[in-house]
Parts: sequence; C-alpha cells; structure tokens
Amino acid sequence: MFSKYFGHYLLNRELLTREQLMDALEFQKSVHVKFGVIAVDEEYMTPLQVEEVHEKQKQMDKRFGEIAVDLGYLTNEQVEALISNQKQGHLFLAQALVDREYMTIEQFGAALRDYKIENSLSDEQFDAIRNGSIELLVENILGIEDEEKNSKYGQYLSLFAKNMIRFIDDQVYFEIDTLENPQSENWVVRQVIVGEAPLFTAIGANEEAFLHIASIYAEEELTEVDDLAEDAVSEFLNLHNGIYLVNMSNWGTELTMNPQEVVKNATVSGDVFLVSVNTSKGSFQLILSDKPENILIAQ
Amino acid sequence: MGNNLSVLICDDSILIRKKLRSTLEKCKCKEILEAVNGDVAVELVKVQNPDLIFMDIVMPEKDGIEALKEIMEFNPDAKVVMASSVGTNDRLKEALGYGAYDFIQKPLSFEAIANIIEKVIKEDKVDV
Repeated sequence: MFSKYFGHYLLNRELLTREQLMDALEFQKSVHVKFGVIAVDEEYMTPLQVEEVHEKQKQMDKRFGEIAVDLGYLTNEQVEALISNQKQGHLFLAQALVDREYMTIEQFGAALRDYKIENSLSDEQFDAIRNGSIELLVENILGIEDEEKNSKYGQYLSLFAKNMIRFIDDQVYFEIDTLENPQSENWVVRQVIVGEAPLFTAIGANEEAFLHIASIYAEEELTEVDDLAEDAVSEFLNLHNGIYLVNMSNWGTELTMNPQEVVKNATVSGDVFLVSVNTSKGSFQLILSDKPENILIAQ
Repeated sequence: MGNNLSVLICDDSILIRKKLRSTLEKCKCKEILEAVNGDVAVELVKVQNPDLIFMDIVMPEKDGIEALKEIMEFNPDAKVVMASSVGTNDRLKEALGYGAYDFIQKPLSFEAIANIIEKVIKEDKVDV
C-alpha cells in the first residue's frame, strides 16, 4: 500500500506526471529490484558509491554485494539485511521509476527523506510504514494531530485497507476527502453498525467502480449492475463490517449491525467523513459517520 | 464425498447462496434447498426437515438467530450451522446457547464446509 501512496505523494509534489506514475505502477509488476536501489533506500550507501559498484560490475564477474563489501561500503550483515528487504513494495516502484528513467535513485531517496520529514515520522514509524504497517500509514493519512478522527475512524479505515488488499485490489490508495457537500453517486451500499460505538458505513461508487468491486468479489466478470453485482458489493461491505465487529469485540466493545441496503442514484448528506478509495481500476467513496441518526439518503 | 444429505442454505445474499451451492454440489449432497431469509427457512424446515442447515445471521425480515430459535423449537435435533462474518464471542455463545450445531466465519472456505459435511455424515452415518 505504501508504494501506491508514495507514488501519489511524488505526483502531488510534481516530481512525476500522472502518466509516468501509472506507467511505473504497471511496470513495477515486472521489475526485479536491484541491490543498489535498496542500499540507497536503506541509506547504507550513497548513489555515487552505487554507481562505482555498477562500474566495477562491468569489469568483473561478481555480485553487487560482494563488490560493495570489498570496497568497504557494506558489511556482510548489511548485505543479508538487504537481501531480506528485497521484496518491499515501494522498492519495486523505485526500481520501475529508475528503469524508466523518470527519476534517479538519488531523487527517489531525497523524496523519501522529504516524505518522512514532512510527516514528522520517527525512524521506527517510517520503517514500519515502509514494511507495510497499514495502521501507521492510515494514522499518517488521517493526520497525526487529528486524534478525534483517528479514534473514531482509524481502526475502521486500517481494517478496510487490509480487506481491500485482501479481497479486491492490492494497489489501493486512500485520500481523505474534504468535501462537505452531499455526495451523489450512481450506487450506494450502506450498512449501519449499532451499539455503544455506532457507525454509518457506505460505499458510494459510479457504475464502473461498482462493477470493478463486484466482479472481483463475485469472482466473475460482471458487465451490468444486476442483483448479483449489487449483492457482491453488499457482501464485501458486510464481510468487512463483520470482521470489524469481531475486532471491536476483542477490544471489549460489543456491536451488532443491520442488514445492508443498496440505493441507486443516491445523495448522502449529514455529518460524514469521506474517504476516496483509489484502486487500479477507478475510485469510489467510503462514507462514514459516527452519527448514523443524522445521515440522510435521498434519491 | 458422496452422501445422502439434504441441505438448506439460508442467506439473503445471492452470491453466498451461489457459492455455497457450488461447494455443496462438489460435496455431492443429495438435495440443496435455498431460503432468502429466516421466515422462508423456518417454513422450509417444517415441510422438508433437511439434514443440515447453513444459516446466515444478519438478514432482513427474520434474522438467523430468530430463525434458529424457531427451528430448534420445531425440531430440537436439527443441525443448524450459523455462517456469519460476525464471529464475535457474544454471537457465538448466543447461537450455541440456542442449540446451533456449529459456527463458521465468513468468508466461507471449501474446507470448512466439507469438514462440517464430513462431521454430520460420521454422526448420522447417512452416507451411501
């Protein structure tokens, strides 16, 4: 998830164009992450040292790690650590950007450092995010200062991210939507969680995004929003909410939930918290509110 | 796994019914019935009395717990397996307290369904 999120950070900082990012995200599926990229990412080596090792590699039949150790740039322990880190998602993006010549290793490393500084992340927090800690990433997206939103929606969003990755799309990327106007969507699936911590939950999507979620969850290609498609998106929300209830129960909060409902051409209004959920095949909105009684859905 | 079991699927989700039916067909169950909510399930149980029932919990009209209570009143030996995404301890205790045979967490896996079928066959010795 961090890979996609960091890609959008690069886009917003105008270090990449949208086309370059889309191309790199697609291309990263086929790349092999090279040692030099990881060594710079981990700040074990400078880009210049990596270049030097690459030059030496052209002259001798040795691996990158061996040459770097010979030159005193890496220890054997660091080589071992780099091997085990080779599968981190964002490194595939880094390698794709370098291979496509959209960025140099140095520019990527500088952007990573800027990201860390701008988000006031400690080394430990940053490592955890890079290593796939969705909880920390979601907390970071929500804004560390906003404790209220974190406590209300943080757990729900973290789990939603995990379930999106698990069941729908591993290239998911969240953006907090600051719109306060009522949301109008082709399709809205809603489910209300009731109990001591009530929560209105809904997925709002245009037809294309709706069919994308439905097709993946139903495990068959759905080309029109029929009963099965409506049901598939409903079931995904229901499954996710069910797991959320189990988690909350394990933390001592017992909740139940009402049946889901699908509403066509709906406008949702009230005190809502909106999250744009971007997938590889389009975006939809996750609509949440801790005041379900104030939510209005009009057709 | 050939067997003589008649099985009732009660779930408001078309998708879940479709997937569960496919799994039960692979397990070669003799008869597969479907109900879209608890009311329909109770009526079907009274008429057909299936060997095994897979029951969702969160459903419109009559939910799974209410249906379970009525089914157990009608037939205290009924084997009702609660199948839900809400596998909280409270729900589990509630369902088992009303006499549920078992509880499986969604998403339903082939293994979980097949294990239940195998358990019922062993207990009832109804396989062919």
